[in-house]
Amino acid sequence: MSQQSPDEQSLAEINQSLYEDGLTDGLPVIPPTDERVDEMLRGTDKPRDHVLGDLGNNENVITVEQLASNAVMAGCLPTYMPVLEAGIRALADPDSNSIQFSVSTGSWAYQWVVNGPVREALDIETSSGAFGPSFHANQTIPRALGIAYRNTAKIYPGEKDMGVMGNPFKFSFLAGENQDASPWEPYHVTNGYDEEDSTISLSGPNGWVQWFPDENNAENVLRNMIENTPTSMRASSGEDLNATITHFFNPYNAEELEKEDLSKQEVKEYLVENSYRTLDGYEEPRDDTGKVPPRQTQQYADTDAINIIAVGGPGRVNAIAGTSIGGPVTKKIEFPDNWDALLDEYALEENWVPTEGFYD
Amino acid sequence: MGLVTPSSTGNDTEQKPLTPRVDSLDGKHIGLYDNGKPAAEPLLTAVQEMLAERYPDATFEWYHVEHLNQIKNDEEQAAVTEWAEDVDVAIGAIGDCGSCTKFLTWGIEFIEDAGTPGVGLIDEGFELDYQSNAVERGRPLRYKKTPVRCETTDLERVREEVTDEVLDGIVDELTRPLNDKERADPVAQ
Repeated sequence: MSQQSPDEQSLAEINQSLYEDGLTDGLPVIPPTDERVDEMLRGTDKPRDHVLGDLGNNENVITVEQLASNAVMAGCLPTYMPVLEAGIRALADPDSNSIQFSVSTGSWAYQWVVNGPVREALDIETSSGAFGPSFHANQTIPRALGIAYRNTAKIYPGEKDMGVMGNPFKFSFLAGENQDASPWEPYHVTNGYDEEDSTISLSGPNGWVQWFPDENNAENVLRNMIENTPTSMRASSGEDLNATITHFFNPYNAEELEKEDLSKQEVKEYLVENSYRTLDGYEEPRDDTGKVPPRQTQQYADTDAINIIAVGGPGRVNAIAGTSIGGPVTKKIEFPDNWDALLDEYALEENWVPTEGFYD
Repeated sequence: MGLVTPSSTGNDTEQKPLTPRVDSLDGKHIGLYDNGKPAAEPLLTAVQEMLAERYPDATFEWYHVEHLNQIKNDEEQAAVTEWAEDVDVAIGAIGDCGSCTKFLTWGIEFIEDAGTPGVGLIDEGFELDYQSNAVERGRPLRYKKTPVRCETTDLERVREEVTDEVLDGIVDELTRPLNDKERADPVAQ
């Protein structure tokens, strides 16, 4: 970074300097001045030199202060720090496989799902357009985590990050689960947490498909879910490589499945039992029996390789994210003592819908 | 007032020396390190065939990482080093994607840890990736670019692409004396 003090530099000059040093994601950032980082640190009770984890090839440490600096650059509020700290713990967890999917030619994205009361506290969107632009927390939290990983692990496109195409979702893929509209237990409860816990979960998919059923009933939802899952997405859980697929259900379709008394586990079992992909002619049998190779194989090896999460608003469009070679890992979010006061101080309002209240 | 750096510090890894090279591959026990990528075995097979023809007295010993990611495990890393102690030189393959190039440098690093000169074979598009990971690992690990593209597993095609020039390069990386930087000697300013 430039030796010139921020007071002497314009916003444009600081951005240019940070960009030239490879410290941004290419978009303009808010300069991480001492003052702004100090303010960001109000969102944590941990000392600024507290090490949150090791990231990347060289296990470079990331401290609370470094995370706060990245959070400032990404435009986060201090109240996002607890979510960011948990996100870093997820990235640092060896089970996240972030060390591989961050650099692989597959251009994998950091997929984040937030559960629990923190969604409401921070206005993390769970309904219409949750994965899209517009929502402050949904956009700035994954951005901060993405550039924090890059700046800590020190990976750059074409250098150690060898993603061939790149991924437009890489630093912007976050939503809260729509627990209120979901008929099922929340995703974090499935993963062993209490419903009142707040969590953030990480996976590393590189594909995203949206689809809708021919008819809004359980049978068509299940059939069309299978038909719309690309055969290039393949899932199997395992120690060496945990390959998973996440099915994001809109609340309407989830409700249709629940009407037929289909639990999340039963939907997963249906997928495993009924999803097959045709084997290519050049695939050799994996044993020495000399038997004629089978014509098809299971697309999902087991139910553990499937995640089912309710996200989105009214409508019948669902989404599939996969194949993920990262995680999934879920981390509990821990809040500072002054949490409630901070929420009051940094609340954001969304007054952008012109007709809201018109019919009251 | 200043800016708080968002990046990690202390990333300048102290560079360790490479293992001294051998004079010749003639009569040597040559290790072939397959890092678990599909293209590694056919590439190393083609290289072995050509080396066997050029050095009839050489012998070969393979090490297969069953799955690419297993090199992250301590036991696998120790096993690679133990294997490398029993060979005179080792040739590793292949660096043809982001993570496998990274993990290839890990493998070559463990081979060098054993006191065995190593060389990694890479798709030429992954040269900077190999260099960056090697330096980050702490050694200017040697490599040879090959024209074998990502995921090419057709042995006949690989045999055509591994030319005498490629083999000359591999031999050179295993026999060319170390320079100052590779010996980790202080470099004159």
